[in-house]
Amino acid sequence: MFELLKSVMSEVLQLNVDGLRPDASREDAGIDSLAVVELSLVLKQHHGMEITDDELFELATLAEIVTLMEQRKRTAA
Amino acid sequence: MTGGAAGPADRAVVCGLGYRLPERVVTNAQLCERLDATEDWIVGRTGISRRRWVEPGEATSDLAVGAGRAALESAGGGPVDAVVLATTTPDYRCPATAPDVAARLGLNGVAAFDVSAVCTGFVYGLATAAGFIAAGLAERVLLIAAEAFSTLLDPDDRTTQPIFGDGAGAVVLRRGRADEPGAVGPLVLGSDGARAELITVKAGGSRFPFRTAVPDDGSQYFQMRGREVFRQSVERMSAAATEALDAAGWELREVDRMITHQANARVSAALATRLGLRRDAAPQNIAEVGNTAAASIPVLLAQAALDGTLKAGHRVLLAAFGGGLTWGATTLTWPELEVHDA
Repeated sequence: MFELLKSVMSEVLQLNVDGLRPDASREDAGIDSLAVVELSLVLKQHHGMEITDDELFELATLAEIVTLMEQRKRTAA
Repeated sequence: MTGGAAGPADRAVVCGLGYRLPERVVTNAQLCERLDATEDWIVGRTGISRRRWVEPGEATSDLAVGAGRAALESAGGGPVDAVVLATTTPDYRCPATAPDVAARLGLNGVAAFDVSAVCTGFVYGLATAAGFIAAGLAERVLLIAAEAFSTLLDPDDRTTQPIFGDGAGAVVLRRGRADEPGAVGPLVLGSDGARAELITVKAGGSRFPFRTAVPDDGSQYFQMRGREVFRQSVERMSAAATEALDAAGWELREVDRMITHQANARVSAALATRLGLRRDAAPQNIAEVGNTAAASIPVLLAQAALDGTLKAGHRVLLAAFGGGLTWGATTLTWPELEVHDA
């Protein structure tokens, strides 16, 4: 799931994901307050995961985002 | 007004286009002298490098007259029967700005009024002008979208101050048939007043009138809830654009150019991603002029027509989103037009 997040960050958000680790902070990884909206829209449209931008905005690290993505993937399945 | 086999001549057809920007260029570096922001932060958040602002004393009507004159020249002159001005920043709370603009353009006496739909104003204005023509009230309409949005901005608000620019764009619409190049296609319009709070200038209206003093709580300034506006703008514009394409019978892959309200470079990118449109089909000018609110679509149309990005025969999708909330979209095949640099 971390690889999926990185691919969305790279291809859709056009962020540099080289050497990015799961413990990186959301802000340091470049997911700012607008990018949480972009991420929320794409996860819903292309991956069937319902995660609001408010939820993403509350998360501090990429690992926390990945955990939420895994939860929502299970819910959707 | 019957048109035989080719259909009735009851449509609005674009036959003139012009724009006008104020002279004063304001760079990010200039804004950062006062704001708690860096140039990189502004560019990263908005995609905007510089914008044009009116000088003190310069008003919306001054820009509107310039754009209106350019559009009338582009149309080869001639009379119009109505002047419609889309603006969020009229010169005065009363009267409307359009009659003054009409008089200064030598059109005194024609129907003239303002349309208020914030950043969707141009698309609402297209619908208004098309309605005048369809109802037999006008043969030709001058539609101007003009904004001096800088006059609404809180000088200390880094989330709004860098975003907006001033400017005006205008089109002349004439009576014609649906199958002609330049004919405005099916229009999709909508609103969501339940989310009015997302984009506001609260003070100075009838709810909170200015009596003796201007309030000092920020309510006299433009305020926007950025993250929610971002989401709404992408979702509403993509839905309206899809609906307008369906109504026109066009496939997305047939769209040569998508000209959208220039809200923020990242909104435009997210919109292209969501629709599945290649990004080079969605020209932008926001880096140089900022978000000029209602004026952004006609200013971008004029600049894209001038630099060759937009060519006769291109299938064009227009989409806008703004305060209200309001949104709208339509289609047209780009006509042969003579556009002059402002």
